[in-house]
Amino acid sequence: MLKLHLKSLPAVLGASLLCVVVARAQSATPAPDNGSFDVEQLFAGTCGFCHSDGGRAAGRGPQLMNSQRDDEFLHNRIKSGKQGAMPAFGESFSDAQIDQIVKYIRALKPREG
Amino acid sequence: MKKRWRNSGLPLVAGATLIVSSALAQTVDTARIETAGQNDWLTYHGSYKSHHYSPLAQINANNIGNLGVAWTHIPGRSTRGLQSMPLVADGVLYYSGSYSRVFALNGATGEVIWSFFPELDEALISRQTHSPYNRGVALGEGKVFVGTMDGRLFGLDAKSGKVLWETRLIDSQKLTVGFTGAPLYAKGSVIIGSQGGEWPGRGPIFAVDATTGKKKWEFLTVAGTDEAMKTWGNDSWRTGGGGGWMPGTYDSETNSILWGTANPAPLYDWSGADYKTQGARPGDNLYTSSVIALDIDTGKLKSYHQELPHDAWDFDSAVGEFVMLERDGQKYVVHPNKGGFVFVYDRNLGVKNVWRLVENINFVKDIDPKTGALIGRRDFPVGKVTEVPLCPFIGGGISWNAGSYNPKTGLYYKIGQEWCMTLDIQKTTPVTTPQVQLNIGADFKMVPPPSGEIYGHLDARDPITGAKKWEVRFPEPPLGSVLSTAGNLVFVPDSRGILHAYDAETGAELWKHNNGTGHQGGIVSYSVGGKQYIAVTAGFGGMLADEYAPNFGGVYKSMPRDDGALVVFSLK
Repeated sequence: MLKLHLKSLPAVLGASLLCVVVARAQSATPAPDNGSFDVEQLFAGTCGFCHSDGGRAAGRGPQLMNSQRDDEFLHNRIKSGKQGAMPAFGESFSDAQIDQIVKYIRALKPREG
Repeated sequence: MKKRWRNSGLPLVAGATLIVSSALAQTVDTARIETAGQNDWLTYHGSYKSHHYSPLAQINANNIGNLGVAWTHIPGRSTRGLQSMPLVADGVLYYSGSYSRVFALNGATGEVIWSFFPELDEALISRQTHSPYNRGVALGEGKVFVGTMDGRLFGLDAKSGKVLWETRLIDSQKLTVGFTGAPLYAKGSVIIGSQGGEWPGRGPIFAVDATTGKKKWEFLTVAGTDEAMKTWGNDSWRTGGGGGWMPGTYDSETNSILWGTANPAPLYDWSGADYKTQGARPGDNLYTSSVIALDIDTGKLKSYHQELPHDAWDFDSAVGEFVMLERDGQKYVVHPNKGGFVFVYDRNLGVKNVWRLVENINFVKDIDPKTGALIGRRDFPVGKVTEVPLCPFIGGGISWNAGSYNPKTGLYYKIGQEWCMTLDIQKTTPVTTPQVQLNIGADFKMVPPPSGEIYGHLDARDPITGAKKWEVRFPEPPLGSVLSTAGNLVFVPDSRGILHAYDAETGAELWKHNNGTGHQGGIVSYSVGGKQYIAVTAGFGGMLADEYAPNFGGVYKSMPRDDGALVVFSLK
């Protein structure tokens, strides 16, 4: 399940927003577990539609593993998107969460086996 | 007050209208679309019979060498290419580009009669993935109808392009999705289906009064009846996906519209074999990945066949072709499924046969040709699917563009796609606020089939039995629609940008022309002033085309994904 608890995130504004998210989502979906923002599942749910193999290979979108782009570029691209290529997620995720996504991208390794 | 649309009724309207004056005096109505006069192309699938065939034969196998470009039109702002099917009525060509830009052009010269650029919610569109392309318009009652990515349907005056009405049908701000598919006009109604599939929602199909723009009815493809509600365990219908994003057709004999529906969400379930009780959406998930017949007046479900119960592979039924045929006194409806099978039905959607267009299929071992039941289905638990890749790839054995049935040869010309994918199935939870997000349920990657290389093929087959007469192979799957004509020709616009013409009887290539960029839209034929034309949209990019550069390299590396043109051919 996509875990949206924010105890590890400092952004108060983002936390407020996502508390609302959790509350309103309960009528439509099971309540998210407690825990940190689960970026791996975010990729399996949303990002991986374009970033193949969970960001490890080029597909509709570029390969993210070993990206030469700096953190600021990745953060801004996730937040603001690129017309006709990358959706903007600035209204869906807080800056702190986007930082978590960038951190996940930096840690991507080839799959074993 | 915020202006919501822009229209350019140019000074040349008067002159252009004179050239095609007889045209606009005639109304496009249900009877005329049903008859499908040879000079026109009045609805997305050519006529309600969905043949994508032109009875014109001025351009034919004997003189095709003299075919050349008559004129081109550049729509501009072709983000993710050009994907629409042009329509033609009485010498006027109507077509749409990205951002639902609509043009009315003189069919003989390409002169612009009018254009319509709706003012869209750009912030919303920037959040969308399956956007901002548009796949076509509908004609009827002196109007042009077009849907938008921000959830509206417009009715435009066919003579001037002025907005006669606009109707908001879905809350795209919340649902994120909108309309990319062409509407269908029939019997005073405009039918249009929303996007859906991997987007958590309930995938509505709408009927709107063509005169007033008032909504007549709405059918929910996810749990739209009490019977269907029981096929979604754990309230999963609330985020079920569905939708009907390509236009179907109208059957006047049964007073029904026939429509194909999209897949459920998440795309890939982790239920394993116990999909009836386990996983993200326990049950058959009606009416996703189905063909449905709705009463055109009421929207009530009359009959259906779920091609893939509990679709766990994204091989949906949204392909809009319902090819109407008669043979030996029997009436048939032929419908291709994304999984690579072609279903043959009677007019009430009773299964009469199922045949394979595609070689590389392993999501099931087979489909029973007598009942349509799936045999030996692969339902995955959480984990990797790598040793035996899933075939076909998420792009499908069959994509959304149309094939062509030629009544003269009795053959159905259809593109098949041979490719596979590896997956890592994972549990996900649908995100519905503040805006709905994609719900896939896996990481995945394109891989070649176990038997060899990725390729595409144009098949010439018997539409009822599937018997193959000939095949032409392509190094990468073509993504555009196919056109056949009474001139013994089959036209295939391919992904590299080449428009091919083949002998309809033998498959021999007779002519080709490089349009300079890949094709992934429509192709039609029409006649103005006694002269036959072939019109094709060129312009690459989008949910499948974007896979070509990283996977195939070559010409795709430099191919723009924000450009496009309408190219029109005639004999020199």
